[in-house]
Amino acid sequence: MQLIPSKKWVLGSLVAFSLITLSLPTIIIIGASFTSGEIIQFPPEGFSLRWYRQLWEMDDFRSAFVRTFQVSAICTLLAIPVGTLAALASVRYRMRFQRSIQVYLLLPFTIPLVVSGIAMMIFFGEIRILGQLWPVGVALCLINLPFMIWSVSSTVNGLDPELENAAHSCGAPPVQTFFAVTVPAVMPGIITGALLMFILAFNEFLVSLFLTDARTVTLPVQIYNSIRSVITPDLAAVSVVYILVALLAVWLLDRLVGLDIFLKSR
Amino acid sequence: MTDLPKRTLDRLPLRWVLMDKIEAFASLVWPAKCHRTTGWLFLTPALLLVGILLIGLGYMLEYSLHELDLSSYRLKDAYTLGNYRYLLEQPVYLQVLLRTLLAASVVTLATLTLAFPYAYVMVRTSSSAWRKFLLVSLFLPFFIGQVVRAYGWLIILGKEGIINSALMSLGLPAMDLIYNYGAVVFGLVQYMLPFAVLLIVPAITAIGEDIELAAESLGANWLRAFWHVVLPMARPGLVGAGIVVFTLTMTDFAMPEILGGGTTDFIASAIYDSFFQLSNSGLGAALSIVLVTLGSILVAIVFRITGAGTLSIRQ
Repeated sequence: MQLIPSKKWVLGSLVAFSLITLSLPTIIIIGASFTSGEIIQFPPEGFSLRWYRQLWEMDDFRSAFVRTFQVSAICTLLAIPVGTLAALASVRYRMRFQRSIQVYLLLPFTIPLVVSGIAMMIFFGEIRILGQLWPVGVALCLINLPFMIWSVSSTVNGLDPELENAAHSCGAPPVQTFFAVTVPAVMPGIITGALLMFILAFNEFLVSLFLTDARTVTLPVQIYNSIRSVITPDLAAVSVVYILVALLAVWLLDRLVGLDIFLKSR
Repeated sequence: MTDLPKRTLDRLPLRWVLMDKIEAFASLVWPAKCHRTTGWLFLTPALLLVGILLIGLGYMLEYSLHELDLSSYRLKDAYTLGNYRYLLEQPVYLQVLLRTLLAASVVTLATLTLAFPYAYVMVRTSSSAWRKFLLVSLFLPFFIGQVVRAYGWLIILGKEGIINSALMSLGLPAMDLIYNYGAVVFGLVQYMLPFAVLLIVPAITAIGEDIELAAESLGANWLRAFWHVVLPMARPGLVGAGIVVFTLTMTDFAMPEILGGGTTDFIASAIYDSFFQLSNSGLGAALSIVLVTLGSILVAIVFRITGAGTLSIRQ
């Protein structure tokens, strides 16, 4: 589409502003992590890898990283079956109370995270599982579940029901039809959803703040607790870990399903 | 299969035998006459999982009906609406609420203003490399998370941050760029941008480029074509994005805490403080219930007026 100069200029400057705003923190964090000084300042003192060397010695951050990984894995492994089945059910099966079910399944989004976090903290405390790691994974799966359902349901909408009927009439029993026809057809949605669930659990902060204690603290909470008014570069090096994980996730998403999947009309 | 001689059965691939066993088991626990309710079977795990939230909210509601006993710092047994009355009587809570709602409106407006052109350019551009660049620039911060991003702004805007140390090295006085309303709003806009763009994009994709061209060829300049054709047709996306950004901002905790530094508390901070600073879980619970109710009413009104937009699961 040929753009009129004024249109190009107006849209271009707005997009440029957004791009700078989106990328600036990332770029600055990467730059700050390589400084050789004790504090972050401009112009920087010099280049060094000392803060990355120190990263290996920060045991509390390393164990927090491992725990964050475990929590995200639990969240993702739970979300894949639960979200996929729910998406199939809400798109493929005609059911009563369809609207109410939709509203119910969107509750994790409509209830503020601060409320969900404290509510689950109270409930988990009552049944005495607070302070363990796995309930955090379950909680993170719960609050992000609509993302999984959305991802899968957008591919279910494109799945031709005749495929399943064809499998049936060729003699495939239900379980086989499910795993040989239905699941492969919605696989792009499952992959997208699983990646989203993992990465969102990996950097989830607020709910984790309520559900973890000193022994189970996860990385985002650890970073939050370490933010002081004096800004030291060690935290920047920790944050670069996040940037790398995010880069990896974007790359995987693009390789496996293509980022263009988000540009489809619904 | 039972008709087959045993030797043939032995030679069947293990996978087949296994699949047959699974099918037999499946038809035993979920016989064909139940197939009409398969939808509910599929839905059950999700319903149970979200049920955890409902149970937690039930506890919240219960807590909110008990006042704090100041001598023991436990909730009294008697049921009362005292906590809600207290919230109404203390002007500070109304102040916090108004500040939060105002900030949410400003952030929503600013985010949509930035997100719409971003989404539009991303959909309409003819260069796939440019499109990919825009997508990656969007997803990277989205995936990095709120705390790390807020920390990035702290490095840039902080009292001893990059801008201020640059100013001082030039001999200029330092500026207060952080711990104020503007910093919180700015941080929130940056945080919400990816959500908004991703929700607007499907709506723009659905608008045929030819419709826009038709408007322009009929003599509308691009601004008018935008205003009268593109924006109205993209309304489902804008509504969806607006609701998400507004509610997420209204309930945000990290940005006001990290970039506001206690100067710009939102409702979430007030809830947090009631629970963990005042140790008054009854009051905090009452505040939570108010927030949930308010948010639900707001979303319900917008849905009633405009429909669910791009937020609905079923298309």
